[in-house]
Amino acid sequence: MNATSTTLEPILDFLARTLTTAETTFNKLPGSAVIQRYVKSSHQNDPGRTILELILFIFAVRTLLQSRTRADKNFIQFSDKEVDELVDEWTPEPLAQSLTPQEENDLAAVPIISGPNGPKPKLASTGKTAVNLASYNFTGLSGNEEIKERAVEVLRKYGLGSCGPPGFYGTLDVHMELERDIADFLGTEAAILYSQGFSTISSVIPAFCKRGDIIVADRGVNFAIQKGIQISRSTVRWFDHNDLKSLEEVLESVEKERKKRRGPLTRRFIVTEGIFEKDGAMVDLPKLIDIKFKHKYRLVLDESISFGTVGRTGRGLTELYNVPASKVDMLIGSVANGLNSCGGFCAGSQIVVNHQRINGLSFVFSASMPALLSVAASEGINILRNAPSILATLQENTQAARAILDRLDCITIPSHPASPIIHIHVRNTKSSLHPATAATIVPSTKPSNPTSIMPKDAASWDWDIPAEEKLLQDVVDEALVQGVIITKAKRLRGQEMVDARPSIRLAMTSALTKKETEKAVNVVKSALVKVLGKRR
Amino acid sequence: MTPLPSSPMALTKPPSASFLKKRKSQTLSSPMPSAASYLSALSQADARARNQNNTGRSPTSTPALSLSSSVTSSSEDTVLYEDDREFDNVDGLALPARPPTSEQVFTTVHTEFGHCADERYRYTSAHVPDSEVPAHVEKDPPYYILFSTYISYLILICLGHVRDFVGKRLHPSSYSHLIPKDTCYCEALRYCGSSVLLPTTLLPFTRLFPKYPGLYTNQGNFSSQGYAPLNSDFDSFYTRRLKTRLDECFSQPVTGVAGRTIVLLDRISPDYNHTQILTGNRTRALNISSYNYLGFAQARGGCADAVEESIKRYGISSCGTRLTGGSNDLHVIGEALVAKFVGVEDALISSMGFATNSTIIPALVGKGCLVISDELNHASIRFGVRLSGAHVRMFRHNDMKSLESLLRECISQGQPKTHRPWKKILLIVEGLYSMEGTLANLPAILELKKKYKFYLFVDEAHSIGALGPHGRGVADYFNIDPRSIDILMGTFTKSFGAAGGYIAGSKALIDRLRVHGHSGAYAEAMTPAVLTQVIASMASIMGVGLPSMGPSSSTTTLRLSSSSSTANGNAIEEEYSHPGPAPPSSSRLRRLAFNSRYLHNGLNKLGFITYGHPASPIVPLLLFNPGKMNMFHRMMKDRQTPIVVVVVAYPATPLVTSRVRFCVSAAHTKEDVDTVLRACDEVGDVLDLKHGLERGKRWSVDMICERAVEVAAM
Ligand SMILES: Cc1ncc(COP(=O)(O)O)c(C=O)c1O
Repeated sequence: MNATSTTLEPILDFLARTLTTAETTFNKLPGSAVIQRYVKSSHQNDPGRTILELILFIFAVRTLLQSRTRADKNFIQFSDKEVDELVDEWTPEPLAQSLTPQEENDLAAVPIISGPNGPKPKLASTGKTAVNLASYNFTGLSGNEEIKERAVEVLRKYGLGSCGPPGFYGTLDVHMELERDIADFLGTEAAILYSQGFSTISSVIPAFCKRGDIIVADRGVNFAIQKGIQISRSTVRWFDHNDLKSLEEVLESVEKERKKRRGPLTRRFIVTEGIFEKDGAMVDLPKLIDIKFKHKYRLVLDESISFGTVGRTGRGLTELYNVPASKVDMLIGSVANGLNSCGGFCAGSQIVVNHQRINGLSFVFSASMPALLSVAASEGINILRNAPSILATLQENTQAARAILDRLDCITIPSHPASPIIHIHVRNTKSSLHPATAATIVPSTKPSNPTSIMPKDAASWDWDIPAEEKLLQDVVDEALVQGVIITKAKRLRGQEMVDARPSIRLAMTSALTKKETEKAVNVVKSALVKVLGKRR
Repeated sequence: MTPLPSSPMALTKPPSASFLKKRKSQTLSSPMPSAASYLSALSQADARARNQNNTGRSPTSTPALSLSSSVTSSSEDTVLYEDDREFDNVDGLALPARPPTSEQVFTTVHTEFGHCADERYRYTSAHVPDSEVPAHVEKDPPYYILFSTYISYLILICLGHVRDFVGKRLHPSSYSHLIPKDTCYCEALRYCGSSVLLPTTLLPFTRLFPKYPGLYTNQGNFSSQGYAPLNSDFDSFYTRRLKTRLDECFSQPVTGVAGRTIVLLDRISPDYNHTQILTGNRTRALNISSYNYLGFAQARGGCADAVEESIKRYGISSCGTRLTGGSNDLHVIGEALVAKFVGVEDALISSMGFATNSTIIPALVGKGCLVISDELNHASIRFGVRLSGAHVRMFRHNDMKSLESLLRECISQGQPKTHRPWKKILLIVEGLYSMEGTLANLPAILELKKKYKFYLFVDEAHSIGALGPHGRGVADYFNIDPRSIDILMGTFTKSFGAAGGYIAGSKALIDRLRVHGHSGAYAEAMTPAVLTQVIASMASIMGVGLPSMGPSSSTTTLRLSSSSSTANGNAIEEEYSHPGPAPPSSSRLRRLAFNSRYLHNGLNKLGFITYGHPASPIVPLLLFNPGKMNMFHRMMKDRQTPIVVVVVAYPATPLVTSRVRFCVSAAHTKEDVDTVLRACDEVGDVLDLKHGLERGKRWSVDMICERAVEVAAM
């Protein structure tokens, strides 16, 4: 007993000494007192907790250490030689497959304008002038002499490029002026300018919609919106194309789902278009706004086609329906399409706009728009404000075109009568099914599945895409022979979420008179009759 | 219908050889009737230049632009300052340090493009054969700097949280956009103003113990509060509490040309950067911040004249997308020229640089493909890759070892879970990194490419025009055949003073991208004015004239080009193996190369820590402490010769390595770089920034300025 105590003594002594030195050094560390007090008091309150916290601590350290080592169970260990063999064996696919003959033909048939574009440009391929129903020149601003003069003045003051993103000395006074002009024109608090129309909405959506947020979108939204939604990684629910009843149903089901899950409040957005790029349909804005307020969603409205083309002075859908633009939370428009310049914008409240100045990817990470294009757009707004006759002419031409085309029974037109873009589908000879009318023909009471972009009647779509593409291209070629440039709506088959039905897309312009428009559309009509008539 | 000529969109072949011979006698300065003849003149110029190179003639300076159009106004442009403002030249920016002699005729405005006639201040940007490509080294500052940097951020973060905590209770109105609410923000702003402020002013302390959990968290009583805040607290914390303090350095509105100097619209902030008010005053400052590498941001001179001509003739807009009625002859010329310039078969132009990446990459790769991306790649590349649906792996910035081991792992493991082999592997790197100034190690990457069979995509946004003896990017710099790179992408926003971007590669590839890239079908085509700037500036550094914009132009062009037989085309194409055939390098290129090296080496010699390759026109100077960013920016701007700089911080850089980024331009004179060096020297002493060299090894700023040529050649 004694012997053991004598042998133990130095050890105990040593232990005690190390403990005291450890304690003093620990006490010397800044903040140690706090830890000590914390441990003590928590131990007093609940000794079990100390143990629990200790375990937690060890666990945390372990996972930290573990994450350094490979967690992937799928990993296979290879020797260097095996890797070399695998590398040698691997043959990649070619980088780019060559185009199909159809694609080659389509590419070759793309009209190339020689010289200025406008209502009657000269074609590079033939050297002859032709009437243009393909290019976007809705309000005829292309070729406007006042705008050109202003642009040259600006060029001589600012040069061309801005040579920097907006954050780094790329914000010019003319950009701020155009932003103000757009905001004033629409009646919103502010607006922000992007340097390409197409890239605008695919940056706006992910700037606000994050993972876990909810987007309720139309099934017919354009490609740029699809990409924006994809980037955002938000939860998406789809409602039937341009069907606000379906929208309400989807909103209710989303709310039900959330209540069931007792999930937290997330940001919720309705994303749709004013006039749809895909088919020219127009949304019922007042009703949409009612729904949005009722369900407390924010509204992202893409007016890329409708801004600068409808309404008394071209302010777009909000003017057409007499709805204050401030009720649309994020109103996106295209400066390129609507004002014949370049770029796009998002108008909304000051908060919405400022948020994008930091979070809008293609705003932050891209050079700002050339000064002269920005001034050209400001000038365009001026012209639209002061000459409502331009929009009246555009409407007249649109109506004149529809009056001719609506009587044709070999085609269907899904576009709204006021839409300046007119899509023409081939009427199906067999069952004459069309997405817009299919719902009424196929009596199905079951709503579409909101988690899928495919509508319920997708199974009954029976159009033959390649055959229709070919037919429509024949129509385009035929019209060109008769001196009218038209174009198919180009689609990225295979990359779009839904493969839209092939169509011809006419773009009306106020730069042609009613007579000229009628003449050109009659050419299109006879081309349609000739090509589609042969089919039967 | 009459058959259309085969693919006029995809014009790439130079005109036939016989055509070329016929035109051989044509001089450059005579007006060219069509785009085709223009292109042929281009071939001639290249051919001539090659002969010159072969005979070993030393490069001579070429005029800024050999102008061939009918515009004559440039001859009267011997302007020293703009006429609309009186200049007293106190800032020393309006007049050159040394007045020009009688035989020197400058055709540029000094404030846009500096006058510098001294041929000593030129350099050729080229890789020294067989030398190592310098790896990206991150020089570390002393520990106390690192320590104080971390502490600064800690203090900023703590302070920010405290302010949020207190502020939310005392001034809920200023936080209304962060709080869930029942009305939409446009109306909410109005409500909050009246209903919330009132109790706050009366009973401030009751607010400290709130009854409404919804004020603080998103999980509030949501049945009555329908709108979640637009940005969650956490997301916006950085913006509100850190970036706002720096707002003075960002988004400064400017006016006029972003050339050698730039005019700032002065602003003040009465409320700690929450609002900025323009005072109406203007300050001209030396601009070492714009991406104006070759100095083509000019309102006078050949390019601007050409653009004016083009606006008058073509108008503003191209009216539509490339595939649906927005293509015109300028697109065809531009694309052919770009293809020649970068030295590959074909090119595609798109109207925005960002979109070039974000809309083209998804057409290249998709599910089952692997993208290997440098960790510092630009946001547009990440955007495109994310859209493509391909699997992404990153490797350490410019680290070839890390790249190789990643390649070995990825190829041997195959796709995750299934272990199927990858369909294809695309490596995406940038030629010149915009925040680091590093060059992609192209020689090493091409070695790896041989072994690992990946496809290579090089984003030359910053390097095209700015690097290489002929300004043709990193491939030119390293003397590498551009055709060994599968996809070359670049932008016109930088060196060419225009906007938009291009993709260049083999004809099959580009044709595919025309049809399958998102831009062709959906994005607006580039406008004629921008195209003209691209063509004019590019032709200028290639040493050829401009196509005439005469009304007769190009009707015959496309026929000619499309009828040129493939056999002939190939014969000529072979001559185009790049980078051999190029005109003697334009003085812009050599001025840029000199200025870049001079500033980079000069800063090093002064003792600063810089990153990047000495040939890079982007020169990052490390600041580390967040507080120094504001100070550096302000001290440079408040000098007698104001200098505007770009400071970058987290998240564009790692947290600790905040930096200033200088972008050198050919428009700067040697004296301008002196000015910058002197300013940095003084500011650097005040802010304690010189940690790169020991005191003994540093040079004084006077010595550096005196021995500039030697410094640049170091
Ligand atoms: C590497 C890289 N790619 C693309 C871009 C985008 O170019 P742009 O400004 O023309 O949109 C940039 C511009 O900052 C860049 O640095």
